[in-house]
Formats: sequence, structure tokens, C-alpha cells
Amino acid sequence: MTQHGFTISDQKRDYSRFGLEENPFPYSPVPDDEPDIYCGQEHVTEAVSDTVSTVLSTGKSKHLVVTGKYGNGKSHTLKYTRSLLRDREDVVVGYVAQPGTGFLDIYHEFMADLGFDYVQQVAYELLADVARNETEYNPIGSAAIKSLIDEGEILLSELVPPAIKRLSETAKFADFARAVVHLVYEDTNLYAWQWLTAEGIRYEQRKELEIHSALDDDTMAVRAFTSMKNLLIELGYDAVFVFIDEFESIARLSTKDEQTTLNSLRHLMDQNNSGLCLLFGCAPEVWQDVMSEYHAFSERIGREVALQPLTAEQVYELVEQYLNPVRNSGKQGIAPFTKETLEFVLQQSQGNIRQVLAICSRILDAALRQEQKTIGVAVAEDVIESV
Amino acid sequence: MLYRQRTLDLPHGDVETPILLPVRNVGKRSSDNTPEYVGTIPDLPTAMINARSIYQRAPMWERLQEGVTLREEMEVPEDTIVFADSGGLDFDPTGPDITPAEMLSIQRHLDADIYGTIDIPLSRENWVEENHRRVRQNIEYAIQTSEKHREDDASLLFASVHGYDPETVRNNIQHLEQRGDFDGYALGSLSLIRTDYKKTTRLILAARRATDKHLHVYGLGGITYLPLLLYLGVDSFDSSAFIRNAGNRNYLLPGFGGKELHNIDHLDYLPCPCPVCGTRTLDEIRVDRNLLVRHNLWSMVTELRRFRYIAASDKDVEAYLDLRFQDNEVTQRAYRAAKQQVRRLV
Repeated sequence: MTQHGFTISDQKRDYSRFGLEENPFPYSPVPDDEPDIYCGQEHVTEAVSDTVSTVLSTGKSKHLVVTGKYGNGKSHTLKYTRSLLRDREDVVVGYVAQPGTGFLDIYHEFMADLGFDYVQQVAYELLADVARNETEYNPIGSAAIKSLIDEGEILLSELVPPAIKRLSETAKFADFARAVVHLVYEDTNLYAWQWLTAEGIRYEQRKELEIHSALDDDTMAVRAFTSMKNLLIELGYDAVFVFIDEFESIARLSTKDEQTTLNSLRHLMDQNNSGLCLLFGCAPEVWQDVMSEYHAFSERIGREVALQPLTAEQVYELVEQYLNPVRNSGKQGIAPFTKETLEFVLQQSQGNIRQVLAICSRILDAALRQEQKTIGVAVAEDVIESV
Repeated sequence: MLYRQRTLDLPHGDVETPILLPVRNVGKRSSDNTPEYVGTIPDLPTAMINARSIYQRAPMWERLQEGVTLREEMEVPEDTIVFADSGGLDFDPTGPDITPAEMLSIQRHLDADIYGTIDIPLSRENWVEENHRRVRQNIEYAIQTSEKHREDDASLLFASVHGYDPETVRNNIQHLEQRGDFDGYALGSLSLIRTDYKKTTRLILAARRATDKHLHVYGLGGITYLPLLLYLGVDSFDSSAFIRNAGNRNYLLPGFGGKELHNIDHLDYLPCPCPVCGTRTLDEIRVDRNLLVRHNLWSMVTELRRFRYIAASDKDVEAYLDLRFQDNEVTQRAYRAAKQQVRRLV
């Protein structure tokens, strides 16, 4: 459709001249929720692997901060690590896109990322665990106990009081225990979920759940998070991972709020010396400030690892990793790009991954329009000049 | 709509459901002062009695032991259909003073057509510990009763089920289906939450969907709830609303609920053509509690008859109920919620 100079078309572009099924580079490079590709820097992958593996193998808590300038891959690193861990059945992973205005927001995001269905499943797992102790049945997992309850094999009333008692002892938070168990009741599960995610519920709704406290400040949120972690560990999970991205946004808080947030995180770490792994993504300048001003918090983070701008070799590897999945020609390597072109891209992007991907994406489309077979520096220069 | 009609084959005759069982206070402090209605209201050959009260009223129980029949004691025909519940509301909440086997023996001696298992109603408080204990206890009593209910006993056995959430109600009925042998289920503890229409209808629906067997609802058959219960597929219900309202000088009228008589100045003719009101003045009804009780019962039966007429004449029941509840915001909301639940919209 052409009108007043606009040409709008949904015609599929044909990248076969490059031996490609499509342009694999994102036009707007934001990290996928489930990234397939990770072209990492060895020291970062080592540090992340070491932290995660230590928590898994020893059960002891360990935390890490990944620093790096915008576009160098902090979010991608966190999300890629999360996607690796999510495949495991013995851990729980929650992703917090940014810390908001305090720990209450972090807790809210963590629970929301786990999701209602998942936490309800955890509630059923708790009932299954209780059923194994209190009845002759041996249900493994949430589906098995749900089926036993639905078919009337086990009385819900046999399970609920001991489940609340046991979780209250484990979590040291009776209100939390009641909220979790209420997730299995269709009349009250939404109120329970609202309370558990710190969204706030009315007094009458709390009363119906027999919950006495409001989950509306950082202290209560730390308590609820610790309860959740303890519940998961009790149910046999090895560890709880919390990935907190864009941690640098705490610098936008008032000094008092920033201090409160960091103190809450410190308390969280102090109260959970086992089974917890916090992975932060943070801009280096903010992390430097935290290091110098909030020792009590920063000293509890075991390690910092910094994402560096890419080298030429890493750019080749990155481009190859993006191209390979969409090739239909059997070719390998960086073709249709040339080394010279990618060195030009590296120079323009200063090794920033987001820039590299964005430029590559535009160059590939420009080369297609110009009916090139290989993508030389001239095309790249045209693209950069046109921006 | 889940409304249904069935026939109950009982030792004292067949009964077409859905049916109202008026609560008789036989055995209570005043003995049975419920005005005569069996025989005068032809489609109401039924009564709900409290077996424990009769057993505990020594002179009456002695007469029954000596050969007087319960129906003679109640001064009703021998073919009156009697549902004997355990009198759960009178039990000490910590536990009944009677065993399931003893209760069954009493119900059998009363020659009841339907037996309700021993139950302890739930309290509105103590959700976690105490109510769950009571729920478990009631289930245990029901199973014990089922084990004692002989195959040659033609009377029906209804398991009393209690729960304040749909899962518990469903779970209890499924459990009892597996562990006992019951002809139906009787849902209790609803009178305490009767003003929470949404919750009440959800519980009834949970029971209705958990079993195709007969479903009775204890103590919830007032003139407002009656059409809702029918709409939700309840097969029988008992009520003392006609007595309680008369005690408060409330004149019941289908579609209008109750109106206190002292708020009505003067009427030459009453708005109801029932045998009680048709030939009497307002002042005569005003001063005679028994007349008011009988009229109130006629009102409830009229409501039941109208619903049956709508269903039998293939009219739109939901449109009828829209009309029925239009003047009362609370019951209108309740009916809308019930309609959505029936259609599985919520």
C-alpha cells in the first residue's frame, strides 16, 4: 500500500540470497524471557555457575552482583541463567524486573513471577506431604493429592488443620500458613493470593481467611519471603533463586528509602543463611556507591562480576550464534558478514551487545535491499550514516 | 436451571419432590403446638421432627415405648411422611450425648421415613481447628450410621454434611459415597450464613454437582429462599419460618416476603385467597397466632405450587424468577449470583 510516500507491506522478505530463512537479529534488542543464545564472557559464566552450583551443592546461601553498562547483557545474563534453572525441578526461581520502591515491591514481583498456579500447586504439595504423614495414602505431587481430595479418598478436613499447624511451625508465621492453605479453596483463593502477593485486602476479607496481620511493609515482606522459602525447602526444593534486575534504580529512591530497602535485603540474607541465592543486575556506578556507603549490605554479597564490552572474537561468536539457527544453506561462520564489516560494527558499537545486534539487524536488511550477496563495510557505513 | 422432579418411595407412601417439610416442635418444651396442616394442605403430608427432643421428653418417649405411635402423638394420619433429624443444633458442640447406633434405633422406633445422621453444626468462628474437627466428626457419625443401617430397613438414610466452602462439601460427599451407603445427603449449617446468599448458593451447588442422589437442605426453606432452592435443584427442605414469622406477627406473602401486621392499618379483605384468609378479616388473623401460622404455611406452599406450575407449563423459569426477585435488591442480587453459578459463569 503506497500513500503519501508511505509504503506499507506485509510481504515476507526473502533472505535466501544470504542462505537465511529470516533476519535473526532483533530490531529492538531487548532480552527474551527465555533466551536461547548466550554468548557470554567466560569470567561471568564462571562466576554465575560457581554461585549457583555452590548453592545447589552445599545448600548454603550465596549471592552475586552482575554489573555492566546498559546494553552489555546484565538482563540477558540473568534471564539466561533463569531459563537454565527453570528446567530443574528441584529449585524455585523468581525474576524481579526492578526493585521498585522497597523490599515489599521486590517480594510482590517475586511472588507474581512465581504465579498463582504455581503457588497453589505448592499449597497442594504441602497437603500431599501432610497426607503422607497423616493418612495411609502416599500421594506424590499436587496432582495426586488433588485427585485424592476430588474423589473423596482423603478428607480435606483431615489435612487442613495439621497443614496449617505444620506450616506455622516451619514458617513461624501463622497468617502466612493460613493464606497458603486457603489457596486450595475456590471461595477464598483470590483473597489469599492478594494477601500473599502483598496487594492488600480489606479487613473483612482478612477476617474470612482468619488472617490477623496486613502484609504491607518491608518487615512483613521479609518475614513472608522467608516463610515462603522455608516452606519450599521443607517440601524438598534445594534452593530458592531470586534474580533482581535493574538494581541501579534504587539510586532514584530517597536516601531513607534506599537505606530501608538495603537493610531489608540485609535482613533477608541474615535470616536465610541456607537455600537462598540472590542474583543482582546493577549498573557499576550505583554498585560502587552501594559498596562505599552501605557496607552492611554489600559485604553480605559474596562477589561482584563485571560484564565487559565485547572483543572482536566475541562479536564474531555472537553473530555466528544468531545466524546458525536460521541458516538453510549449510554454511557456517559469520557469512554473509565479513570480518571487516563486524570490526566496523564493533568500532561503532564500542562492544555494546545491544548496539551490535541492532546494527547487524539493520545492515542485513540494507544489504537485502541493495541486493548484495555478502555484506561489506560499505553497506555498514551507509546504515550508520543514515542513522 | 437445575430444578428437578422425582418420586420418593417411602415406607408411608410416595412423595413427589421437591417437597417442603414443615418443622414440628413435637418433643420440645411446648410439646407439639404446630397447628394442624396435614390433611388440610393436600400437598404437604410431611413433617420434620427432632428425634433427640422426643427421646429426651420422658413422658412422651414412655408413651411411644408403650405402643402409641409417633403419628398418634402428633395427631396426624398414619400415612404422614416423617423426616427425623438428629437435632444437631441442640447438641453440645464438644459432642453429642448419644451414639449413632442409639440415634438410629430411636429414629427406627419413631417409624420415620427418612433418617438424618447425627451431626454437630459448624460455628461461624474457629474456621481452622474446631470446624474441621466437627466436619470430620460428622463424617465419622455418618459412616457409623451407614454401617448400622440394615438392608431390610425401607426408610431412607440421608448423610448430614457440613462445610463452609464448596471444596469441603464436595469432598465430604465424595468421601461418603465411597465409605458409606446413603440414599441422599442433607446439607446443614446454612442457617448461620443465610444472609450470605452467594456463599449459600455456592455450597448448595457444590453439593448438587457432587451427587445425583436426593439433596435435602436443613433449615433453609423460608419464603424468600424457597424459589432459589428449587432453582438450584434441591429436592427437599425443612423450615420453621412459618412459625417463627407468626411469632413476630409477620404475614408472609409470595413475592412480598414478610410484612409485620402492626404496619397494616385496615383491610376489608386480605390479599391471600388461602382457606385461612379467604373467609376472615385482618383483625381475626391479627389476634390468632395459630391462624397466622397456618396462613404462613399456605404462603410457602403457594410459592412452591407456583414454581411447579411454571416448570410444568414449560414457561421460562428464569424470567419468572427475574420478576419474583425484582423488588428486593438483596434477593435480586442473590438470584443473579445463583444464575451465574448455575450457568458456571463464576
